[in-house]
This record gives sequence, structure tokens and C-alpha cells, in this order.
Amino acid sequence: MTAARRGNLVTLALLAPSLLSAILLLVIPILIVIAFSFAEQDTYGGAKFGFTLTSYRELFQSIYLPIFVNSLQLAAVSTLVCLLVGYPIAYFIALRAGRYAGILLALLLIPFWIDFIVRMSAWMVLLGRNGTINSALLGLGFIEQPIRMIGTYPAVLVGMLYAFLPTTVLPIHAALNGLDRRLLEAADDLGATPLQSFWRVTFPLSLPGVMAAILFVFVPAMGVYAIPVLLGGGKSIILGNLIVQLFLDFRNIPLGAAVSVVLLAISSVIIVCYMRVLRSVEEARA
Amino acid sequence: MPPDTTTGTAGASRAAIELIDIRKAFGAAGGETTYAVDRMNLTIKAGEFFTFLGPSGCGKTTTLRMIAGFEEPTSGRLLLDGKEVTGVPAHQRNVNTVFQSYALFPHLTVSENVGFGLSVKGVAKDEIRQRVQAALESVHMGHAVDRKPSALSGGQQQRVALARALINRPSVLLLDEPFGALDLKLRREMQMEVKEMQRKLGITFIFVTHDQEEALTMSDRIAVMNNGTVQQVGGPADIYERPANRFTAGFIGDMNLIDARVLGRSDDRLTVEAAGGRFEMPCTLPVQAGDPCTLAIRPEALHFVEGEAGGTIRFAGTVSGAVYIGTDTVYGLTLADGTRLHARLRNGDGRPTPQTGEPGTLACAPAAIRLLTQ
Repeated sequence: MTAARRGNLVTLALLAPSLLSAILLLVIPILIVIAFSFAEQDTYGGAKFGFTLTSYRELFQSIYLPIFVNSLQLAAVSTLVCLLVGYPIAYFIALRAGRYAGILLALLLIPFWIDFIVRMSAWMVLLGRNGTINSALLGLGFIEQPIRMIGTYPAVLVGMLYAFLPTTVLPIHAALNGLDRRLLEAADDLGATPLQSFWRVTFPLSLPGVMAAILFVFVPAMGVYAIPVLLGGGKSIILGNLIVQLFLDFRNIPLGAAVSVVLLAISSVIIVCYMRVLRSVEEARA
Repeated sequence: MPPDTTTGTAGASRAAIELIDIRKAFGAAGGETTYAVDRMNLTIKAGEFFTFLGPSGCGKTTTLRMIAGFEEPTSGRLLLDGKEVTGVPAHQRNVNTVFQSYALFPHLTVSENVGFGLSVKGVAKDEIRQRVQAALESVHMGHAVDRKPSALSGGQQQRVALARALINRPSVLLLDEPFGALDLKLRREMQMEVKEMQRKLGITFIFVTHDQEEALTMSDRIAVMNNGTVQQVGGPADIYERPANRFTAGFIGDMNLIDARVLGRSDDRLTVEAAGGRFEMPCTLPVQAGDPCTLAIRPEALHFVEGEAGGTIRFAGTVSGAVYIGTDTVYGLTLADGTRLHARLRNGDGRPTPQTGEPGTLACAPAAIRLLTQ
């Protein structure tokens, strides 16, 4: 055996565990979903494997279009809210917090060691009709009637913001933290006010981080399920709960699988386009 | 760039910068505050090429940063063109900086970098374009307008940084070790160019370097700094020929420093004991018998003598080595008490020179010795 071949075998052996788990837990399930999407629904809610485009044909009927629009809209608005809140936080931690930066980053991340459903339940308690916020406002005399928060769109956005804040802050923080401070001194030296420094130097140089944050929020936000159900009362149907309903309530496994495949396809197309744009931005900069 | 006629040699007596009792504390170690810059009093004249020279950590860069407005003095006052600027932020001071690392904006082109200062002040686009072109041509970079800084060599980045600062027509230009990253040949070239540019523009240049040769060749005046304090201020010849203290004498050029003690004085003549011998020399310093002092002698002021030559100061010892360095040879001489001297002699002047290991006597004129009391 040549040294090169032995080297290849060693590499393969070392990669085997992660390759196997990726194949078992990622590739095979996706293939199963794809297979189901081409299957036929049988009378009792099972699926007969085969090859039919029935599900896809059904999917492209107009009643499903608003659901796609709803999902894209929720993802877009959530991303915007996350950026508006996350950017100032990342900016403060990276450029203003000094030696407290580490502590602040930790504070931002620690809640995410707690299970997602538990954290969402906490928000339900906070926002509920007899919840903490309403009790406090009533007690202080700011309001006379409890405000309805659970089941509203803003409540969903609060939940989305909370869920995706770290994935917004971290990439922006990384970009700002790597910013050469002397460039800010140079801008200051050349007569730029702090606001001009920000828009002409800091912000453009943090764009790679902002672009990464958009990707990290927008794509997973397209497929959320629990937050709109728990905090929004599941009123507007989005892709995430459509899939759940099709699988569990309507027992239409092929159609549920087809929705999943389309969601996967949309996400993949977005990621690929986005990476292209990102690369050309970075090339233009170099 | 057209020369600015409002400054220049005509206003040379006007003060561009006044530093009054400036102190900058940098942290307290064990309750004792240490100062990066301590009680600095300096006046820099308009149109002057002024250099802060000293080893790293001497406070020269901190001083520059306080003038630029990046750091505020802990106490003291800073006047720019006669106006107090203590507490005025950098972007409101009519001062521009050429940074050690150039600090060009990586996301902007060369022309956007150079036009940055005009653009933030809201100058019209057409005027910016014209002035950027002129500024880049004045530093021979007119061909690179649309390039990104990362596509430029170190020397080119340096030129762009100069243009970016000078286009704003500052009353003072600060240069923080601008040539540190350049190779020797390019550094020499840039030194000449910058000096020439300063002469043409008549703008006050404040230059920071640890390179004494650079300081001597470029400056009108030099402030030698050590440990946060100014050791001496003067023209290159003053600093080189008449160092005020042991630090300056040792830092600028090669110097033999010999510990000595004053034995006595009569009028303007002093008797000094050093390296196991006694010397008489003229001196007007207020020193008294018993005071410790230092004799400073340039290696090139020493030469070998044979026999008795009156009126010279003589050191007898053993030649410990000779190093040929082209035009000159540097000889080492160890005296009886262990003191080592070195002498720099011109090659090929026909005078006999002793070989290594032989006894030799070095001599110099009393006027070539500088007596230092601190």
C-alpha cells in the first residue's frame, strides 16, 4: 500500500463517524421525504410509494400561495426586526463595552442553553392575559384592562426576535470586533463626525457580518412552527404549521412531504443566490 | 497641490502648537501613577519641520496622539494656532495625520480615500474630483485612482496616505513613524520627497521617529524624548554636537561616555578625574569639586598619537580590536582601569595605526570633549 493510499484511508476512517451520522440523520431523511412527496395517498392516510406528481399539482393551486407569501413575509419582517435590535447590541458589545464585552456576550447566550419550548412557555407567562407584564402594568395603574398580547402579530415578532437574536448578534459582533480601530481614528482625523464615521466606515465594513446574520435568520425563520403557534395562536397559517397539519391532522403524507421539499428548495435557492452575491461583494472589496 | 501662501516662512515666528505643562497618566501601578508624557512644555513654530525622537515607549507617539485629538491630556493645556483645543474632538481640529500603518479605508478606492476628508465636509463633487486628481499627482499616484488600497505596495499606500491628509490643507500635518514599514532605499526616497513637500507647502510637519538619522536629515528642530520627558530641544547640529545630557549623547550617534568626577576648578578651567587619569578642560558649567559628571567624546574626534603632544587630552591603553567599515576603521581601546573607548579613523590617511594587542594612545582636543552633568 502506498503512503498516499494509506493517508487516504486514515482520512476516511477519521471522517467516518461524522459522514455516517450526516448520511443517517440528514441525507437519508431528506431522501425519504422526497420519496414520500412523489408517493400516492391511500384511503386510510398512509402512503403508497410510486411516482406521481399529484401532490405537487395540488400544491400549486392558489389556496397554498398565501401560505408561502405569509411565511416569506414573516421571515422578512423577523429578519428586519432582528437586525434593528441586534445591530446596536453587537455594536455596543464590540466597540463600546470594553472589558464587559465578554460578560455581555455570555449573558446573551446563556438563556439559549435552556430548552426552546421552556423559553417559549416563559414568554407565554410574561405576555399572558394574567401574565407578568399585565399584572405589573395593572398594579402600577398604567392600564385598567389587561392588554391582549398572546395571539397577536407583535407577540410572534417578540418570540422570533428572542429566538434569533444570538444568530443576529454573533456574526455582526464578529465583523465589528475585527474592525481596525485605526480606521475610525483616521475618519475622525479627516473631519468625519461620529455619525459620518459610522455610515461611511463602520457600517460598510460590518456588511459581511450583516449579510451572514440575514442568512442565519431568514432561512430558519421560513420554517418556524412553534413560535407562531404558541405566541400567535396559530392564526395565520405559515409553511411550518401547514406541514404539521398536513402530516398529523389531514394525514396527507405525500402533500406534507411535497411542501417540505418545496420549502427546502426555496431555502437552498436563497442560500446559493446569497452566497453568489456575498462572494461578488467581497471580490469588489478586495 | 498649490502651495499655501498664508503660512510658510513668512509666519515662521508664529506658534503653530503650544504644549503647556502637558501630562498624560497611563494607569497607576501600586498606587503610583505613571506618566506616558510628563510636564511637557514646548512651542512648535508655524512652518517648522519638528521631530519627536526617542526610543519606543518614550511618549513621542502619545504626544502626537494628544495633538491629533485621539487622546486627551490628563492635565495641561494644548494650543493650536493660538487657540485652546483641549477637549476639542479630532474631527474639529485643523490637523491631519499620516498613520504608521497608513490606515487607508479598505472598502474605498484610492480616490475615495483621498477625497474622504473633503466629502465629509460637503465639498462639491466636481471640486473633490479635481482636488483628488491634483493631490494624487503631487505624490505621483495619478494612475491609481480606481485601485483598492490592498492592490498597492507599501510605498504607494504611503503616498496615498500623504495625499489623503494633505488634501485637507491642515495647518499641521502629523506623521507617526510613517516610513517604518518601508525598505531602506524606498525610505530614503520618501524622506527626501516628504521634506521637499514640506518646504514647498510651508505647512508645519510634526514627525515622530525612533530613527536618529531620519530625524537629523529631515528636521528643522528635534525634541529628544525619554521616559515621557523632553531631554533636549534643538536643531540637528545642536543635538548632535552639543548634547545636553547623557541620554541624548548616547542616543544620537556613536559616543564614548566616560564616568568622571570634578576635582577642582579655577575660573573657566576644570580639573576632572576620569578613567584613572586627570584632565584639564575649559568649562562654563556651574559645577563644583566633587560633582560626578560624564565625559562625552565622539569616536571620530579621537586619533592615535605617539610621544608627547601638548594641549591634547590623552588616553593610554591597549588596542582591543579593529573593525574595517569601508571609508573608516573603528578601533577599540581598553584603558588601564577597564574603560573601553572606540575611535573612528579615516582609512588611507597615511598615519600609522597600532595593531590589535599593542599599546596605543588616543587623543583629542579639549574642545572635542563635552562635559555632561546629568
